[in-house]
Amino acid sequence: MKNMSKFSVALLACTAIAPPVLAQDDKIIVGFATAESGFMQAYDKPAQDAAMIRIGEINAAGGLLGKQIEVVNADTKTDRAEGAKAGLSVIDAGADLVVVSCDYDFGAPAALAAEGAGLPSFFLCAESIKAGIQGVGPNSFSASVLAAVQGATMAEWSFTKKNARSYYRLLDTWTEYNKGICDGFDYMLPKLEGASLVGEDTFKNEDASIAAQITRIKSLPAEPDAIMLCTMMPGAVSAIKQIRAAGINSMILNGSGVDGSYWLSAVPDLSNFYVPVQGSIYGDDPNPAVTAFNAKYKEVTGGDPSTQYVYPGYVMIDVWAKAVERAGTTETAAVVAELEKMTAEATLFGPRTFSGELHHQNSAMYLIVETENGKPAVVDNWTISAPIPVADLMK
Amino acid sequence: MQTLFDALSLGSLYALGALGIALIFGVMRLVNFAHGDVISFAIFALLWPSIDAVAVVFAGYLPWFLLIPFVLLMGAGLAVLSELVVFRRFRRASPATMMIASFALGFVIRYFLLMLFSSRPKSISLLPSLSQPVEILGARIPLLQVITIVATILILLALTAFLRRTRFGLEMRAAAENFTMARVLGVRANRVILGAFALSGALAAAIGLILASQTGTVDIQMGAAVMLMAFIATVIGGLGSLSGAVLAGFLLGAASVVMQTSLPIDARPFRDAFVYGAVILVLIFRPQGLIAARGTKERV
Amino acid sequence: MAARTPASAARRTIATPVILALILLGLALLAVGSGSRPFNQTMIDIFLRVVLAVGLYIFVGNSGVMSFGHIGFTCLGAYAAAWLTMPPMMKQTLLPGLPGWLMETQLPYWAGAVIAACWAAGWAALFGKILMRLSGIAASIATFAMLAMINTVYSNWETVTGATSSVVGIPIIRSIWPYLIAAVVAVFIAWGHAISRAGLALRAARDEPTAAAASGIDIARQRLIAFVISGAVMGMGGALFAHSIGVVTPDTFYLTLTFTTLSMLVVGGIGSLSGAVLGVVILSGLIQGLRWLEAGVSIGATTFAIPNGLQEITLGIVMIVILAHRPAGIMANSELNWRRARPEIPDDVPGNMPTNKE
Repeated sequence: MKNMSKFSVALLACTAIAPPVLAQDDKIIVGFATAESGFMQAYDKPAQDAAMIRIGEINAAGGLLGKQIEVVNADTKTDRAEGAKAGLSVIDAGADLVVVSCDYDFGAPAALAAEGAGLPSFFLCAESIKAGIQGVGPNSFSASVLAAVQGATMAEWSFTKKNARSYYRLLDTWTEYNKGICDGFDYMLPKLEGASLVGEDTFKNEDASIAAQITRIKSLPAEPDAIMLCTMMPGAVSAIKQIRAAGINSMILNGSGVDGSYWLSAVPDLSNFYVPVQGSIYGDDPNPAVTAFNAKYKEVTGGDPSTQYVYPGYVMIDVWAKAVERAGTTETAAVVAELEKMTAEATLFGPRTFSGELHHQNSAMYLIVETENGKPAVVDNWTISAPIPVADLMK
Repeated sequence: MQTLFDALSLGSLYALGALGIALIFGVMRLVNFAHGDVISFAIFALLWPSIDAVAVVFAGYLPWFLLIPFVLLMGAGLAVLSELVVFRRFRRASPATMMIASFALGFVIRYFLLMLFSSRPKSISLLPSLSQPVEILGARIPLLQVITIVATILILLALTAFLRRTRFGLEMRAAAENFTMARVLGVRANRVILGAFALSGALAAAIGLILASQTGTVDIQMGAAVMLMAFIATVIGGLGSLSGAVLAGFLLGAASVVMQTSLPIDARPFRDAFVYGAVILVLIFRPQGLIAARGTKERV
Repeated sequence: MAARTPASAARRTIATPVILALILLGLALLAVGSGSRPFNQTMIDIFLRVVLAVGLYIFVGNSGVMSFGHIGFTCLGAYAAAWLTMPPMMKQTLLPGLPGWLMETQLPYWAGAVIAACWAAGWAALFGKILMRLSGIAASIATFAMLAMINTVYSNWETVTGATSSVVGIPIIRSIWPYLIAAVVAVFIAWGHAISRAGLALRAARDEPTAAAASGIDIARQRLIAFVISGAVMGMGGALFAHSIGVVTPDTFYLTLTFTTLSMLVVGGIGSLSGAVLGVVILSGLIQGLRWLEAGVSIGATTFAIPNGLQEITLGIVMIVILAHRPAGIMANSELNWRRARPEIPDDVPGNMPTNKE
């Protein structure tokens, strides 16, 4: 025991001595305060790999402002308190940009640390409006698209292209992301003339069984045309499987969170199932550059992208590097100003817009992936008729 | 009708879980928080370790008559191992210490799985033929629900027979009632405890199987929610009382389902608050549980 | 222990909180001396855990009733701090359901923390009134049900708690001193309660319930007092937790935190104030050491690192080993003292480092 406590003091001391590295002028540092272990690791790692691909491309092409981009990492261990520490560590290591965890809840502590140090921060793929000006602060951005856009896209698309009229809304109250999808759906539905909500219910992601919720759907006079399912993994698979097992064959509309074919084996021969995605991982993206990126991703990481959440990491470095190039400096105010000037800036995965009001996408071009007999494929694309106003997003 | 089946099938899960916890509590006053992780482990044993998103199914392809014993064996094996390696060293420790030790063990199992499989939920199609709906008394009910209920009843019957008819069962019941006395009377304590762990592990594995075939996913936290409810059921039922645990498990399942169907939409997210409120009420009116086990009453 | 009067007990035992405070001060100085921000934050984290473990000890240690619900008070405290210290502008957008007077309020963090502690204590009194009638495992489960109720309400009350979404805008305090002060205050509160009439009566009831009841001790009342005091300390810890990272979410204050706090207390020694503090310091030191190994250590030209995830596994194993060897925790039921203390621990050495035989 005696030795052990001495040992721990020695370790504490060693950790303490590790000197903070000062920002150096001959390189630009990107700090990743992301999860390298724990629950979020499975979500952060792929997006971070994509970001590394873009960094590699930029460095190979001579760097940014003539300097090489260097990367420092700190592990958040999928823990908020550790996240704050990780944010501070990469800041101490001289980061010019702080990249934080994919999820708003887990990324916020590190992003707040960056905000406190006056540095720009980017969420890898957070889809809540709070991952930006409205929550973290004026120097914070997210690389993905708001969850509400996904719900609104699915509502408008299914109404217009699939003639859906009666909708059922099933919300998993576990996360803000789930609620965001349903909020977007709620925003869009009244704008669709002739569409009606025939029922709604909630469940919890960890519920072992949603039998009671399904019984409620089945007791409707007629099966609804579409079920808006606002949920995410792992509960999503369970919900979908139970809905189909109960013999309900309505079309199921989802957010991007259920993209991927890795789980389809759980619901054999799934059909009439629709997911909005920013880019296709199935090799059938209308944009050949996306398929080329998929190949490159496989070459670097040894595996195909498993979901569309790989892509925002690439977009993130892309738009940030452009802003730095235009500003001619990595200084926060100048970079943020350049980012806010971006209007429909072309990226590999659709146009991106940032403004002084919103550091997020309130409209985006989505590909619609349909799963038919267990085979997902891109069938359409859709951009909502008008961006969702910020006031509606804040409700 | 449908609601009844919903309540019964959810209750079955809780009842099986509560039984697993009550068995171990009965013989050694251990509240086993590693139980939920045994559930996850038994199912993960069907997969080959890989951190890819796609599950590499390994033993999951076995035909059902091999698959089920395999999973049960994995659960029982892990539980027995945990007794041999860990809990045997805690015979004289206080319940609080044992509880934390079991929690630490669960933590180790969970992170071990995390290291091998990553946190991403894996999908497997276990016993896919069970996902078909069947028609019973005018209600279309997923076959799995029926099987869950029937299996639970069978397990309960078998367990009752085992506890009542065999010598080992008798020893176990004696030990649950008064461990010291049973020991004095010649019951071999370690053997009985090992047996309880094996049974409890197999029950955990059975829950894992049902969960996995119902949800189609396995993930490292899957056991946690069921375990919590089961734990509560054990206490409400009367700690140490096996029949109480089963009864309370079914009651909790019924309470959840009834509240889900009867609450207005705005109050539905608060469902669990009502369920837990009911738990507190039950405890206040019946602190010893619905069916108080002899030997667990406090002296004062 | 039986024949003490409060006044002489105070004189004889004052050394314990003083030693503990000195240990904590030493850690704070180490952090400030290092000048590293992440290390400073690590130390803040340790102090927060000290506050929580000590808060939990006040009830669990003295009453002998295991509680799974105390983190619920931490949750109450954290949200109270958020309500009181966030800028009104942020509250209007994020938490529109707050009553007008609360919407307009913006207090400094320390005032917020004090009120948060009172708020948590108030709820502890309310819940305690109902729950303290129970004892044993039924009480433990009831406290857990309380935690689950608090969690469910805070996870779903959209307009007042922001539901599951993180509430941001809470002023972040990165200076280590407030946390040190809070930890020291918690230690002294715990000590003050332990030597008070209520504390002595409660411990008597824990060790000899029949005798205590026979000599006229109202056990439920003594438990309630400890429950409220510990609720207040947990609430203060929650408020500071909110200020340490600047965000609060309900799921931070749920099972994981409950079990980490309990584990640290049990490993340290559930019946000992020193155990509560040392359990936190030792386990945190271990976690930090393992994290450091995980990040990689350079020995000569090669970097040696343990695989990610091994930290948690090792931590669990170490806890099991410690508990197997010392079922009553590292400190068992004894306290740190200047003199060579109680016979249970023969080589308990005075000074400000945890020392014990394995």
